[in-house]
Amino acid sequence: MTPPMAELHRARPRSRLVRWSLVALLALAVWSWTSGDIEVGDLLQARRLENLRSFLRDDVQPFPLRGRPFSFAELLAWAGRLLADRGARGALQTLSISVLAICLAAAGALVLAPFASRNLAARRPFAFGAAPEPARGAAERLRDRGWTVLTASTRAFLVFLRAIPEYIWAFLLLAMLGPSAWPAVLALAIHNSGILGKLAAETVENLEPAPLRSLWWLGGRRTQIAVFAVAPLAMTRFLLYFFYRWETCVREATVLGLLGVVSLGYWIQDARARHFYDEMLFFVVLGAAIVLAGDLVSAAARAFLRRAT
Amino acid sequence: MASDRSRRGVPRRPLAIGRRGFAVLAIGLAAVAALAVLAPPLRALLPQRGGLAIVRAFFAAMFHPALRYESAVPQGTPPLLLEAMAAARRTLVFASAAMSLALAGGFVLGFLGSSAWWSDELAAVPRGRLRRALGPAVWTATRFLIVGMRSVHELLWAVIFLAAFGLNTASAVAAIAIPYAGTLAKVFSEMIDEAPRDAAAALRTAGAGPAQVFCFGLLPRALPDMCAYAFYRFECAIRSSAVLGFFGFPTLGYSISTAFENLHYAEVWTYLDALALLIVGVEVWSSALRRRFVA
Repeated sequence: MTPPMAELHRARPRSRLVRWSLVALLALAVWSWTSGDIEVGDLLQARRLENLRSFLRDDVQPFPLRGRPFSFAELLAWAGRLLADRGARGALQTLSISVLAICLAAAGALVLAPFASRNLAARRPFAFGAAPEPARGAAERLRDRGWTVLTASTRAFLVFLRAIPEYIWAFLLLAMLGPSAWPAVLALAIHNSGILGKLAAETVENLEPAPLRSLWWLGGRRTQIAVFAVAPLAMTRFLLYFFYRWETCVREATVLGLLGVVSLGYWIQDARARHFYDEMLFFVVLGAAIVLAGDLVSAAARAFLRRAT
Repeated sequence: MASDRSRRGVPRRPLAIGRRGFAVLAIGLAAVAALAVLAPPLRALLPQRGGLAIVRAFFAAMFHPALRYESAVPQGTPPLLLEAMAAARRTLVFASAAMSLALAGGFVLGFLGSSAWWSDELAAVPRGRLRRALGPAVWTATRFLIVGMRSVHELLWAVIFLAAFGLNTASAVAAIAIPYAGTLAKVFSEMIDEAPRDAAAALRTAGAGPAQVFCFGLLPRALPDMCAYAFYRFECAIRSSAVLGFFGFPTLGYSISTAFENLHYAEVWTYLDALALLIVGVEVWSSALRRRFVA
């Protein structure tokens, strides 16, 4: 190595934080496997393996095919029966829960986001980022304080909505409302309105401020600017986030059924409780199929929107 | 006005509504259809008898989480705070074990699933016939594998493993690791494909082999983003690990659901706060790291 190279090598940017983080992460991984909490040995016990063998040999075989030569027609007939019986309905319900939840979440986010964006909810909208005009007199200082309190409390509320996991919301709503589709819908809606609200507020804060500020100086009122300028400008990005969160909603809507809400997860749990593992696996695969379908629709929608002006 | 614009060569929009209007319309129709499918009775939105009391009790406990058990416990039970710490520790252990597996899997699958790894663009010399024949097949198979791993939620993997093995903590780790490896692989491969190719092209013209180009030209450009994303997934893994407790694994979710069923809401908040502390801790760490290497 030539001396200048050695010089360059020595002068490369180094960070103690990154270095120690790597060491800490490695230590964490090693500790997690050696702490004794993870029973890898137990998994390889004869009893477990016997369990696995019988699971693969008998339990997951579709019921009409057990102990008989494989027949594709029988398999299709079995799948068709399950689909017609509750599979199709469960899948449709899961999708409906996710759609309704994300729409409610978006509505909630659209209501809350304007109050959480520090450039819109300010004494002088969109002076944010540029040199803010200092408050003159006690009255203006008070108004500044008021706007700060408003944005900070809205943000805190959004944090509260998304910090509580959707499963906890579902548990709580199930206890409060009793069994129907609402607990799942509302649990997903509440959690996601916290997320979408934060993303929407950030989108508004990242808007190019100059044209919006000029509207203000031209005499536009705050609500006029919000409805006719901010909303159209932020809309594309918000819709992208909307579809991205919808993908997650489809996943979670399946799973929330495990807690007793009627969606595919309910039938998965039901089949598990009755030890009908063939049906359980069928519903899991059906769930994977609608997740995949949701991902494809969302990817197509996002590609479609990216080309929007 | 319209003719004015078209005369100047500005194409007129074919539809009265734009793409976004179309999307919003579609979303609205989907919402109406969903309402029709579910037909949830509006009456069910009213709290059932005693329902409001539960919610009130739950949120009243928010500001004073329990410091000791709310009812008598058997002799020899560790104090609540120690128990919460132990559950948090197990949550962290499961999450980091799962992440260590998922990272390894995601790394390998991410390479095999990236088109940069297989394209001729990075090769100085034409690739061998075997590799050229095998490439698309391996790429497609990897893509399918990734989709399959990702499409089944970690809780559903856990349910499958519960049925196959019975309750075993290693299967909880695997249940998190599989979908996370799929997600990491998908995102890693996209990051590798989207990384700037300048250094790779320079190395290639200097005569480096494909592996050298990949490891020293392409990978370092993608690595910061990959690290940042992996850290974000670590936070998610902690949440998933906690939620797996709802199925009987000894993480925070187990403590939460038990306390919830016993109507010990103050205890629920103790465990929720422990989970929040864990997640906030990782978030602070990761944002400090991100500031350092994602410029």
